[in-house]
Amino acid sequence: MSKRTPAVSVLTANRLQDGIVVFLDVDGDWVVSIDGAAIARSPDEALALEARGARDAAGNQVVEPYLAEVHETRGRLVPVRVRERVRVDGPSILADVPGYEAPPSPSPSPRQRDREQAEAA
Amino acid sequence: MYRYDEFDAQFVRQRVSQFRDQVARRVSGGLTEDEFKPLRLRNGVYLQLHAYMLRIAIPYGTLSSRQTRKLAHIARVYDRGTGHFTTRQNLQFNWPKLSDIPAILDELADVEMHAIQTSGNCIRNVTADHFAGATADEVADPRPYAEIIRQWSSLHPEFSWLPRKFKVAVTAAERDRAAIQVHDIGLHLKRLGNGGLGFAVYVGGGQGRTPFLAKLIRDELPEEDVLSYLEAILRVYNLHGRRDNIYKARIKILVHELGAEAFSAQVEEEWQRIRDGALKLPEDEIKRIDAYFLPPAFEQKPARAALRAPDRAFDRWVTRNTHAHKQPGYAIVTISLKPIGGIPGDASAGQMDAIADLAERYSFDEVRVTHEQNLVLPHVRLGDLWDVYNALRAIGLAEANAGLVTDIIACPGLDYCALANARSIPIAQRISERLAVRQDLIGDLKIKISGCINACGHHHVGHIGILGVEKRGEEHYQLLLGGSGAEDAALAAITGPGFGPEGIVDAVEKVVDKYLELRSGPNEPFLAAYGRLGVAPFKEALYAAA
Repeated sequence: MSKRTPAVSVLTANRLQDGIVVFLDVDGDWVVSIDGAAIARSPDEALALEARGARDAAGNQVVEPYLAEVHETRGRLVPVRVRERVRVDGPSILADVPGYEAPPSPSPSPRQRDREQAEAA
Repeated sequence: MYRYDEFDAQFVRQRVSQFRDQVARRVSGGLTEDEFKPLRLRNGVYLQLHAYMLRIAIPYGTLSSRQTRKLAHIARVYDRGTGHFTTRQNLQFNWPKLSDIPAILDELADVEMHAIQTSGNCIRNVTADHFAGATADEVADPRPYAEIIRQWSSLHPEFSWLPRKFKVAVTAAERDRAAIQVHDIGLHLKRLGNGGLGFAVYVGGGQGRTPFLAKLIRDELPEEDVLSYLEAILRVYNLHGRRDNIYKARIKILVHELGAEAFSAQVEEEWQRIRDGALKLPEDEIKRIDAYFLPPAFEQKPARAALRAPDRAFDRWVTRNTHAHKQPGYAIVTISLKPIGGIPGDASAGQMDAIADLAERYSFDEVRVTHEQNLVLPHVRLGDLWDVYNALRAIGLAEANAGLVTDIIACPGLDYCALANARSIPIAQRISERLAVRQDLIGDLKIKISGCINACGHHHVGHIGILGVEKRGEEHYQLLLGGSGAEDAALAAITGPGFGPEGIVDAVEKVVDKYLELRSGPNEPFLAAYGRLGVAPFKEALYAAA
């Protein structure tokens, strides 16, 4: 039986080095925020994303890439399944974890930084 | 406590060295994920939802202060300041970087710990009664046998690729705190008819998708035969256990399908062939291992009541969180890792350090981990209880709720686990907050929550069990009643249609309200009332108005 291709989807995986959740963005970088993720709106686009995921998994950048179905709600990408929403938002209970020390915010990729600067200008 | 001999130390260091090389090859591209995954799992490394997770073995739940401090150090340096104690008496770190894990394993080896066989289809960490060696109600300390089984099962060449994972639990008390009837093998150490020590052997218990209680296949197994008998069981399982269907691969399915009688006949046949061979335990070897677990140098004090300051909260804590010790003048202290509204089983690095200090000062350097996700100081003088209580208060771990409705088991669930369908921890937190004010009134009541059918949160044996499922992409929860993982082991039954994340907390409260209404008195605990009343009044309370 063939796997159902989600109607609208993004490509997600875990980063090889530290296992952190990442998304393939429109520039072809793996980034921690879903906001700039490349969106597949057709089976062909989904196949293209999957092919890119397979290449980057083989290239040891990421582990277990797959398509996650999303809604576009008020300009934001929101996963359909609760599992994927938890992956995007992180554990829902971190504020209650005793002694939890959040890591420093990840620095944006150079291309992200350029884009943000261009938008700010 | 057991101390590594030269062989133990060497093989653990060797494994660290091998894994360091494997990680380096994975990161540099020399190994694909498909090649690497079975290797990392053999070393306790999972890839979870948000990061890698490292599961560390704590054999039979026994830790020294030095080991506890090392876990705190790892939490602080390599993780995010916290650790999570599990229902297998293990500890999990939720955020290690893959490239740091060889260094973590080296640090663990420094204190005679490792993560070997905490995953994979092998014999997992052997668990035991967390009060072992201290409780007044045991015939002998079961940990020497757990250690003997650990040594036999570590890197056992024949049993490293079993059809599925395999879990062994040992107890030596009539009151079963090790949940032996829901293990692949449960061993009950007892006095035999001939006066010697030996075991009742239970096989084929387990939870997960298809729960079964274990069957008693031998009532009196002499202690010297324990390894040969276990070997015979594992051989029958290894030969006939199904490898074609992961859901039918556990020994419980084999025992169920063959029938306990036919299964035990095959075990007996194999055992007769090997029982007088190399695995027969010489008395000297049992004594050698026993020597590592000799009682500490207790003060010979007369039995007397705990010294109590005029403090009601302390009274409650002594009543709920201490247990009778075999040595007069001492008590066993349960440190609840279930503060009201807290995360079951979590401890910060600072808390672990403080508990290590307490163990060193007040409990002969020992800490225990319980399968109910609490910690234990096994040997505390009655006269020191007030000081221990105050020290625990200072770190937020003096909740007097051991065995009460807020002492909830919960698996990591969908907040961390890649297999989960629904979150467990927030449900536990909300139930804890909702029922805390009435917990003393409610009395003994065990709630156990799993975020998926794999049942790491033991929902099948909860007095009240909760199973998280996914329904049309959203979290949904089934409610089960009447289970027990103790000596009166029973599997809980689903009440009916499930509930949403908000509704499940209301549903638990309705069950508790109905119990309080119908119990014969405060001395009739929930499970007894449920046994007397059956499910009907609870179902009516849950669904009548719907």
